[in-house]
Amino acid sequence: MNLALFRNSLRIRLLVGTLFWIVISILVAGWGLGQLFHEHVEAQFDAELKNHLDQLTAQLILDEQNQAQVRLLPSDPRLNKPLSGLYWQIDRIAAAGEHPVKAVLRSRSLWDEKLTVPADAPADGEIHQHRIEGPQGVALRVVERTVTIDTHSLRLMVAANESLMTGPIADFKGHLWLALGILGMGLTLAASMQVFVGLAPLRSMQDALGRVRQGDARNMEGTFPNEIMPLVSEFNTVLAQNAAVVERARTQAGNLAHALKTPLSVLANAAHAPEKRDDDLARLVASQVDTVRKQVDYHLSRAQAAASVQIPGMRTAVEPVIRGLVRVMQRVHAERQIEFVLLPDPANLAFRGEEQDLQEMLGNLIDNASKWARSRIEIQVSDEPGKLRVRIDDDGKGIAETERDHVLKRGVRADEQVPGTGLGLAITADLARMYGGDLVLAKSSLGGLQASLILPAV
Amino acid sequence: MRILVVEDDLTLAAQLVEGIQSVGYVVDVAHNGVDGHFMGETEPYDAIVLDIGLPQMDGITVLKKWRAAGRTLPVLILTARDTWREKVAGIDAGADDYLTKPFHMEELLARLRALIRRAGGHASTELVCGPLTLDTRSSRASVDGTALTLTSHEYRVLAYLMHHPGEIVSRAELTEHIYAQDFDRDSNTVEVFIARLRKKLPPGLIETVRGLGYRLSKAQ
Repeated sequence: MNLALFRNSLRIRLLVGTLFWIVISILVAGWGLGQLFHEHVEAQFDAELKNHLDQLTAQLILDEQNQAQVRLLPSDPRLNKPLSGLYWQIDRIAAAGEHPVKAVLRSRSLWDEKLTVPADAPADGEIHQHRIEGPQGVALRVVERTVTIDTHSLRLMVAANESLMTGPIADFKGHLWLALGILGMGLTLAASMQVFVGLAPLRSMQDALGRVRQGDARNMEGTFPNEIMPLVSEFNTVLAQNAAVVERARTQAGNLAHALKTPLSVLANAAHAPEKRDDDLARLVASQVDTVRKQVDYHLSRAQAAASVQIPGMRTAVEPVIRGLVRVMQRVHAERQIEFVLLPDPANLAFRGEEQDLQEMLGNLIDNASKWARSRIEIQVSDEPGKLRVRIDDDGKGIAETERDHVLKRGVRADEQVPGTGLGLAITADLARMYGGDLVLAKSSLGGLQASLILPAV
Repeated sequence: MRILVVEDDLTLAAQLVEGIQSVGYVVDVAHNGVDGHFMGETEPYDAIVLDIGLPQMDGITVLKKWRAAGRTLPVLILTARDTWREKVAGIDAGADDYLTKPFHMEELLARLRALIRRAGGHASTELVCGPLTLDTRSSRASVDGTALTLTSHEYRVLAYLMHHPGEIVSRAELTEHIYAQDFDRDSNTVEVFIARLRKKLPPGLIETVRGLGYRLSKAQ
């Protein structure tokens, strides 16, 4: 067994554990039952042999010539049928002035065979058991005893083919193992089903989690068994807390911005007052306020984005965001009568991330295009494997190839005359990279700049 | 031209008032959303500068209420949060333009002028009416290229008339647009300003429409 597979699969662990115990208990049960039956059959067999021996003993007499006689022969018909497998025999044991004689009497079933048992001398009344080789080399089970009448000692023995006993035992064991084998298979099947059914909620939990990761759900949805429901609700709590933490971070960042920017406005306005135009201090304040504002903008946007990139389960439809931003641009640049063309996106693509981040990235790009465009901006959302691409083309003067890398650096503005922070493109590129995407600048077929934003899609 | 500034930071509000007054507009100030909303709904302003982060009632709500009540005047919103979400929300609530704090006063004034111009349907920063030219950027009026020397009240009356050429403008309307809310208004003073303007302008440019008000003649 592959150890790693065992370690990694709960199903295989459970199955192997159960199978191990099924096999062990079936083996133990089989061996135990076989043994029990064996002893039982053996005891019965021996009891029968002793019964015959007792009968023989009871009918044994000595006639006038001191010859052993059996008054009434045992009635079992097998004793009369030659080589039937059940035999008796009486030997005379050597005593004072007599020669030992084998088989002074024997059952008819013995025909002209003689049984030879080891020459031991059991005490009177004691019964000995032996295994010997009988007629035709068949293993026999023998019980013997010594009977002494007056001074004559006789050895009485009753024997039976061992196969009469082992045959039924073997039969029984065959049936036993067959039954146990079927039982084992049944148990294995039941165990597999149990494992499969028992672990099914884990599979649906995995699916639910998958939907969260895909961005199709914000929470793990569905009902789960009592044993894993706490896990699911804990996980949902973590998800919600995560989102709350990010929302709080965002709000705090926003509050910080708000708290900083109004005083900054006051400072900037004071420094820009007409009567201060030639004041060195005013100029210094103005330039420093500008620097502070850039720093605040840049780091706030990064902090907000870094927080949200870590939340799973985010999904933002792209087109509504673009439409909202285009509404802003059309209103703000109403006089310039720029034509915004949003090329159709039949796939209704969605971005795997926060709406606000998508708004920031696209807002900066569309705003930039609106500043530079002469009359037309084209926006197209297209599908790429696992990604989406938003292409924004304008018919402005564009950015020279040598300048393109330069403008992606923060704080660099292609033209200081057009209002803006000079951060837009740099923030967008940073955000895109945080999401594993990219921002590519190229020359547009419309004549101006083409900005392509590549982002992870849902 | 009469402007409403709704801004809760007192210093910034004072700077805004000073800056906007410096280009010849009349300014009212509100320091919270509720007052701002009331003033914007009841007084005839030509444009409003509205901060988004206001106490009592936030700027977006104030703006939505104005628009719902049918107020179509241009509104410039000031945002501190500088997120596109807020800009989209502002524009969708009915704002005409936005400005992110901190801003340069010159830029705010330029945007404000552009909004007022757009609202009056004027394409250029210079309003021309016959021999009369009004440069809204420099707040100067000239006749046939000769600059006129005007007091601030005279300028406001002339600018309002030039934003509505050919229309009859009542004395009450003029009063409302050249004085701030807390000013002791007297519509008779409008007649004084009109009389002074007529002396400085070519004759017949400002007509009196009996019982209704004044009209800036487009004919000449």
